[in-house]
Amino acid sequence: MKDYQLAWKNLWRNRKRTLITAASVFFAVFLALIMRSFQLGTYQKLYSDVIESYSGYLQLQSSEFLDEPGLDNGFVVDESMIARLEADPEVTAVIPRLESFALTASGSRTQGVMVIGMDPEKEHDGLNMRNRMVKYKLTPGAVASLKTEVLPERSARLLDLLINESYTNEEKMLLDLGLSPGDSSAFMPLLRKHASFENSYLSSSDTASAIIGSGLSEYLQAGVGDTLVLMGQGFHGTSAAGLFVVKGIVSLPTPDIDNVFVYLPIEAARWFYAAPGMATSAIINIRNREDKVLFKTQERLNEAVGEELKVRNWRELNALLLNQMEADNKSGAIMLGILYLVIAFGVFGTVLMMLAERRREFGMLVSIGMQKHRLAKVVSLEMLMIGLLGVLAGVAASLPLVFYGNDRPLRFRGEMAKMYEDYGFEAVMPMLQPDSYYLWQVVIVLLIIAVAVAFSVRKILKLNIINALRA
Amino acid sequence: MKVVEINDVCKTYHDTEVEVKAVDGVTLSFEKGDFAVIVGPSGSGKTTLLNLIGGLDHPTAGEIIVAGHRLSELKPSQLIDFRMEHVGFVFQSYNLIPVLTAAENVEFIMNLQRWPKEKRKARTDEMLQSVGLSDRHKSRPSQLSGGQQQRVAVARALAPRPEFILADEPTANLDTKSAETLLDIMEKLNREEQMTFIFSTHDVRVMKRARRVITLEDGKVVSDIRTNHNS
Repeated sequence: MKDYQLAWKNLWRNRKRTLITAASVFFAVFLALIMRSFQLGTYQKLYSDVIESYSGYLQLQSSEFLDEPGLDNGFVVDESMIARLEADPEVTAVIPRLESFALTASGSRTQGVMVIGMDPEKEHDGLNMRNRMVKYKLTPGAVASLKTEVLPERSARLLDLLINESYTNEEKMLLDLGLSPGDSSAFMPLLRKHASFENSYLSSSDTASAIIGSGLSEYLQAGVGDTLVLMGQGFHGTSAAGLFVVKGIVSLPTPDIDNVFVYLPIEAARWFYAAPGMATSAIINIRNREDKVLFKTQERLNEAVGEELKVRNWRELNALLLNQMEADNKSGAIMLGILYLVIAFGVFGTVLMMLAERRREFGMLVSIGMQKHRLAKVVSLEMLMIGLLGVLAGVAASLPLVFYGNDRPLRFRGEMAKMYEDYGFEAVMPMLQPDSYYLWQVVIVLLIIAVAVAFSVRKILKLNIINALRA
Repeated sequence: MKVVEINDVCKTYHDTEVEVKAVDGVTLSFEKGDFAVIVGPSGSGKTTLLNLIGGLDHPTAGEIIVAGHRLSELKPSQLIDFRMEHVGFVFQSYNLIPVLTAAENVEFIMNLQRWPKEKRKARTDEMLQSVGLSDRHKSRPSQLSGGQQQRVAVARALAPRPEFILADEPTANLDTKSAETLLDIMEKLNREEQMTFIFSTHDVRVMKRARRVITLEDGKVVSDIRTNHNS
């Protein structure tokens, strides 16, 4: 009989205890993976939302801009330098931006906003702007009309929760309405009929047009065709004032951005802020976004831009967000720590009981000729089998949920959604697909098992046969 | 041929502040084919002496030579191998491995000794037949009576053909019928396989069958009588 066969048989000598221990490991791994998947998925979404809709992965700025953002720390765009940066093999485009604050008003409502002067075409290439334009909106009128049509009962109920929700694509709207992509042909004509949203993107030649975030549009009650008044401080303290017609509405993933962003063509922004030829930053589009490659690219570009300008990476640009996430991550780690501590006690309880119960048997086995290290190996295999049983079951049970949660993120409504948005986050919790965090949970459980194994091995190696036989 | 030689062996325990001499200057030897019992009142040192002969415990003084091995010269792991190769143990409370069947229990030591599978199976069958349990190959210890379990324990101890068997109160937990059956089997194996048996016991039934009765009192041999009993 091989050692693993003996270990397997031993495992089932106390079936209930084995199952309870394996179940405790299972629940720890399962809960830890689900918790971690939600947490990391939310972080990843937040990072990619902010990076891909606003900051970009690399940005060219004046060296002082990061500490003191403002027009006065802008720079004059040097086309030859832009060409030099674009010549780098990793860089696909350099997109200058002029951004500053202003006060906007529409009708009787005013709001402090961030004005982004950008090149519409390049910004689309770099940050996918055109695809962020609102294509469908469930206005109260649209919802009322849809309710007169034949819709699945659940979708009709969900419509009330989705009033004023904007969509940039059909898939997300169908998902929110509880419809599958297969229902598209049956229901999309209805949705197109009642909820389509007329919208236009900016062009470089527009001089008095703007696109605004859907959150801002809702607050200002300003739709396409309405006029915004913008007032602010221009370059070197000049007064900035202008009228801009809302040409389109974009839906930006982060409420903090969606509620305050006004996009103008860069020439219009330069005119508005009296900053001809200037930019406050330039998004640098790159081919490879992996941190390792990205940091090398940053280093290379920094050598090309000279002293007064600096290429910043997404971590530097979003330091506050990263800090917030890091703090949140720590609290998650504490929760996981508590969870694993409970499991560790459970596993140790099993080990202690098992060692006490089988002490006499261990004494007998060593008496009749089983080497202590071999006995320790059998007991270690038992512990490992219990651990692996729990870990594998936990991983297997979590996988379908994690893939589902990644494909169909948990979306909050009502008060919960409001709370999320108040914190500046979209009320969505996606799950991160299995990644290195899976491996880490397995490693942690195996470490707990390893400590339990080390404890039992030590006990067996120090076993006094005479005392054990008397037990 | 001497299987066991015990020369002026002492074993002193210092468990408390009191020094206890469990074995006090014992000199004995056992020949191949002996069927000997060590008797004496509780605390006389029977089990301690058996543990010393089996290499489970170390003497405080004196020398024990078993099958040509001076036990004091063996390291702990060598002692374990020594026991596996040369000593068969039968314990008072059977001590079978509860998760293994009767056949697997009998095979266990041969398995440790890496006997070839076929040889192992054949010897297991032979031993289970010898102890009258050829129909209980697949029974777990919990499915066997006390007497049957002890017979499996005897089969396990004898299967790898050790130099001798140390049996510590093997009949203590058995009813009369089971004890007699077990002793019959042990006598038969002693006779047929020339196996040396050394018992420690209080049981008169065992003493009656023994060809040599060694009496211990306060750790000392007070008598060593060879009987005329002929098995």
